[in-house]
Amino acid sequence: MFVPPAAAMIYVIALFFRATWLSQNVAVLVVVFIVVLGALAVLLRRRPPIASVRSAARLVDLRSGAQDHFLTLATIDPATQPVSLIARLRRQAEWFRNRVDLKRDFPYRLKRSAYWSFGGSLAAAILIHLLLVLGLPGRDTGAGPERLRELARQMALKPELRELANELDALAARLDDPQISAEEKHVLAQQIEKKIAEQQKNQEQKDNRDLLAQAASALSQQEQQQASSGQQQGERQKGAGSIQTNAPQEGQGENKQTQASGGDGQGDLNAQLSQGMDAGKSKQPGQDQNRSGDAKNNRGQPEPNQPGTDPKKEKPGKTQGGSKEGAGQQQASAEPPPQVGPPAERFYKAGEGKEGLKGAGYVTVQLPEEVVADASGESRATKESKNNRIRTQVPVSNVPLPTHVPNAPTEKQPVPIEYRSIIR
Amino acid sequence: MDPELFQQTFRHLEVEVQKVIVGHDDLIRKVLIAFFAGGHVLLEGVPGLGKTLLVKSLSQTLGLSFKRIQFTPDLMPSDIVGTEVLTETSGRREFQFKRGPIFAHVVLADEINRATPKTQSAVLEAMEEKQVTVFGDSHLLESPFIVLATQNPIELEGTYPLPEAQLDRFFFKLLVASPAPAELKEILKRTTGTASAEVSTVLPEDGGKRVNDMQRLLRQVMIAPPIEDYVVRLVHATQPDGTNGGPLKSSVKQYIRFGSSPRGAQAVILGAKGNALAENRVHVSYEDVEGTILPALRHRIILNFQAEAENITTDQVIGEIIKQVPRN
Repeated sequence: MFVPPAAAMIYVIALFFRATWLSQNVAVLVVVFIVVLGALAVLLRRRPPIASVRSAARLVDLRSGAQDHFLTLATIDPATQPVSLIARLRRQAEWFRNRVDLKRDFPYRLKRSAYWSFGGSLAAAILIHLLLVLGLPGRDTGAGPERLRELARQMALKPELRELANELDALAARLDDPQISAEEKHVLAQQIEKKIAEQQKNQEQKDNRDLLAQAASALSQQEQQQASSGQQQGERQKGAGSIQTNAPQEGQGENKQTQASGGDGQGDLNAQLSQGMDAGKSKQPGQDQNRSGDAKNNRGQPEPNQPGTDPKKEKPGKTQGGSKEGAGQQQASAEPPPQVGPPAERFYKAGEGKEGLKGAGYVTVQLPEEVVADASGESRATKESKNNRIRTQVPVSNVPLPTHVPNAPTEKQPVPIEYRSIIR
Repeated sequence: MDPELFQQTFRHLEVEVQKVIVGHDDLIRKVLIAFFAGGHVLLEGVPGLGKTLLVKSLSQTLGLSFKRIQFTPDLMPSDIVGTEVLTETSGRREFQFKRGPIFAHVVLADEINRATPKTQSAVLEAMEEKQVTVFGDSHLLESPFIVLATQNPIELEGTYPLPEAQLDRFFFKLLVASPAPAELKEILKRTTGTASAEVSTVLPEDGGKRVNDMQRLLRQVMIAPPIEDYVVRLVHATQPDGTNGGPLKSSVKQYIRFGSSPRGAQAVILGAKGNALAENRVHVSYEDVEGTILPALRHRIILNFQAEAENITTDQVIGEIIKQVPRN
């Protein structure tokens, strides 16, 4: 019962070892551990291979309907019993013995747990094998350095290719070396590829040309594998908190941007903070990081989602319209705009074209003396917080957006990421 | 004695009694087993079920002496065991022991619970010791000796229920059930017509010797140690609490006031042996034990008030014990 799981685990360890996920020492240690564990389990669960005479006799009685003839014969002491009765009991038991057919009454059956153990272990081994082969193609090194070594061995048999074979062998060794970076491996592989290509031109024998073609193919395959594994690694790194991303943003905040791009005919850009915007943005960890960076630079900027934030503590003149005093005197943030690409290209939603937000990366915002947002004269955040008696003064612009002026003076400032969805 | 002969004799006795007693096959077998095991039987049932007829028929088939004692409240011990009477022989007066009805092979103690405890104890002493003591002289009873006592379970007024210690002297307590309709029809056919069934004596003239041989053979029947252990576990399980609690669940234990005595275990094994011989076997099986445990233990387990209030019978308790105690 314990053999199939142990065998399956050893097979999986062998797979990991082949995939170079485990070093030789670790693999050996794990295998030894599994073997010891299996032996311990067998020892603990060991039962005598042969049933006791008493239980066997009881079983025969049950199968043959002998009414405990065999049990009595197997357990009594004949010396203390009358001989005539013992003889009679034996005669009767003999008669019942003929009714027992070993194959029919005691067929050899594996226990159900053995089937489960075997089936489960086999399924697990196949599953892990398939996962390794299909799910992680970059790890399939069967055609990698080993293949190169094999080709090098074949090439070494040919005198004219011996030098190239040595180089190929050295390359395979370097490919196996984890201390050498991927770029370096790539460069080395390309060098050898060039040499192979040159050699191919010079070769006249068909065999040699085939061999060189195989080597070139193996090298290119190896490079592809490295490239794909490097890409996967890069993607994993991004997913784990990369800062730079062009992924389209989703959320309530972007809905508002959609409205802005649609335009209401006034051409105003009312910068509003909303909770929905933050909710929409919080899905991107990278952006959170950006936000935190902005928050450092724009300290004192009101944060409606944080009830503890007191806008009165903001420093006048250094906020981005967070207070009355700062209105109309906005200063450009010290932080340079993101250099990855134009903001419009980075932040437009799916379905929006570049032209929709073209040039929207830098807007000139002039805030009036009084906060005027819409017809009622209140910004959304103000409305929402009115009942809670927290009157958040949010930056609002009612000035039409002028044409883009290059080299604009101090009013020019980058649109923080947080604001992109509140422009309407 | 050959087990074959035992089985033939036993079967013959059964058939002869069944000529008179309709149904009650199991009852007849159990009475015979108790007889060959050397025990006494308490028959419990309402009047008119054939208890007395059963005992009479049995004594006739055995060819042994039979006496019937009708127990009444004014019955004295001397009326049962006998007494010294003054007699004059050849001009000389002397006390001579006059044997009572207890001096018989088969004694029917009819409605034993109607006699006073003093009289009951006289019978019970004879049952246990197989001798009586009158005025300092001990008188051995004849062997084989069996007392078949009857009692009516519904008429309790003016009765003296047997104490537990005296109940323990009975090997089996058998319940005589009312006949099934088909059996009743057969009873009517046999008893209301002109034809009357007569039983014949099965045992030869020296029937007593044959019975003694059969009793000896019964004790020689083999029992496997695992089955012996099973009997021990069963009887042990009847103990309600303490270290003798056994493996019983509380759902059963809560009804038991006193468990079975060792006599109960003896009765189970001897009864099982008798059953095995009756089935032409020389060894005891688990089935023999389970078939015997009910009559052997039902009067030895004393239930408490809770069981009485909930109409729980000893038979139910024993049935539950058999379910809960594993064979191996």
